[in-house]
Amino acid sequence: MIFYLHLDMKSILSLIHLEFKMELRRKYALGGALLYVLSTVFVIYTSLQNAENLPWNALFWLVALFIAVNAIAKSFAVEQDGTQLYLYQLASGIQVILAKMIYNVLLILVLLLLAMGAFLLFLAIPIQHVGLFVGTVALGSLGLGIVLTFISAIANKTDSSAVFTAILSFPVLLPILLSLIKLTKASFAAESTSVSQDIVILLAIDTILIGLILILFPIVWKD
Amino acid sequence: MKQNWWKFLAVALVLYSVVVGLLRPLNPGILKVNPISIEAGKSYDMTIATYNTDFQSGDDIQSYLKINDTFGIQSQQVEILAPNELKVTFDIPTKLPSILQRDAYSIILSADRVGTFIRPRAVSIVQNEIDISGAIAAWPQNSFGDFKKAAKANFPFRAILYESLRNLFYHVPMWFGMTFLLMGSLVCSVLYLANKNTRMDTRAAAMIQIAVLYGILGCATGAIWARGTWGTWWTFEEIKLNVSAATLLLYFAYFLLRAAIDDEVLRAKISSVYSIIGFVAAVFLLFVLPRMVESSLHPGNGGNPGFGGEDLDNTLRTVFYPAVIGWTVLGFWMAQLTFRAKFLQDYFLEKYD
Repeated sequence: MIFYLHLDMKSILSLIHLEFKMELRRKYALGGALLYVLSTVFVIYTSLQNAENLPWNALFWLVALFIAVNAIAKSFAVEQDGTQLYLYQLASGIQVILAKMIYNVLLILVLLLLAMGAFLLFLAIPIQHVGLFVGTVALGSLGLGIVLTFISAIANKTDSSAVFTAILSFPVLLPILLSLIKLTKASFAAESTSVSQDIVILLAIDTILIGLILILFPIVWKD
Repeated sequence: MKQNWWKFLAVALVLYSVVVGLLRPLNPGILKVNPISIEAGKSYDMTIATYNTDFQSGDDIQSYLKINDTFGIQSQQVEILAPNELKVTFDIPTKLPSILQRDAYSIILSADRVGTFIRPRAVSIVQNEIDISGAIAAWPQNSFGDFKKAAKANFPFRAILYESLRNLFYHVPMWFGMTFLLMGSLVCSVLYLANKNTRMDTRAAAMIQIAVLYGILGCATGAIWARGTWGTWWTFEEIKLNVSAATLLLYFAYFLLRAAIDDEVLRAKISSVYSIIGFVAAVFLLFVLPRMVESSLHPGNGGNPGFGGEDLDNTLRTVFYPAVIGWTVLGFWMAQLTFRAKFLQDYFLEKYD
């Protein structure tokens, strides 16, 4: 087996464009994701408004995890067999997964930034270093987007893809989440701490996973 | 017989590690000293409870109170109360060779047959004034006599661990075995994707099955060890316990995924792909993240010395390495049997269906 990276930016961009158009065509999808963010934060707000010293860190990433799983679980399910066959003739597996990953990372980034805004607005999370927190959210969307896109492709081969996206991705996401939680803890702390090691670990996990996924996705995709 | 030698090797090594690991005694050690806090310039009778010693009247026993390699005092007299109990008398000089008002001193015992053993920081001594030069004059230097050697070296006596030290031969090989089996399953999964022979996928699944069994046994033996040393069966404060549980969850998800796909070829393909991704995650979980935490009670993480530094001495090695090899090879044998049973089951189901 010889894998060579055929990076045709133009076709990847048009695949992202297609992804975006399909998302817009299903108006309920994007609206549903936005409402999911707002209603989750609202539930937390109403149920925990009297409590003090909440574990904001864990709470934020739990919400982020469920938002991401919810938004991406149907990433491959929405395509009818016809679309899949059509794409299969036009683009390579690597192009399809790269386009989907880029689109999903951006989608999660937007949703998580919204969740972060809602957390700041309603719940007053004690962020000390806003730049670091936004950077952590960006790194988080990268990791979540990469893993969930691929896992949803795997889960799509089973009958209940939403359930399998969740249970298959949680253990794989755990190393990423643990590093993210450490970074978030640093952005909540009053004094600045060194975070370069955790960022390197996160980027290392992401790089290895992207490399593996680019090799493995064409196998999954070909039926 | 010729191609089965490794199975005999595995059984022999496991039997050896169980028998020798359980039967070989620990070296003698000091369990308890009373009193543990004393003052300078007085004379004290101390009772010392020892472990695995058989003192008899007439034994030549020396005991020392030691601050560092240079300064130490020998006891005035040693009285044998019981085979595992001594009474020693120390005359503590008024001035101590320490810049601290209260400092910890070790007790060394050296006896015929039994050998020499030490309890580090066993007694704390308080002094009223700090006078180093006076102390240097008062304390004998390099006064330690020739320490007696034991007739036979046994497993080391370690405070807190005591007899549970033997769990090293059963807890740690489980994780070694699991890691090697997971590596084997990775190879099989990659081979399946290269050759599309579903037998390779069945082989990979069998290896993961035994790896998960080893993981569960590793958690169980670890829980027993934690109960004895940390006082709890399980704690979510420890990163190593969390990541082991997550790794097991990952492979439970793998079996669920296999169960969810009916088509044999699709199942083999998808589960091979997931096990490759899962292996990468497992490596990060088990071997990278535990090293990132600031502190941990579990050896080998967070700046805590693992078994391998001064904890793993040569007597332990003679049982530990055979145990690792034995359990690993035994695991591959079990995986082979699991694979054959599954293969025959599928064969007969197809034949008589």
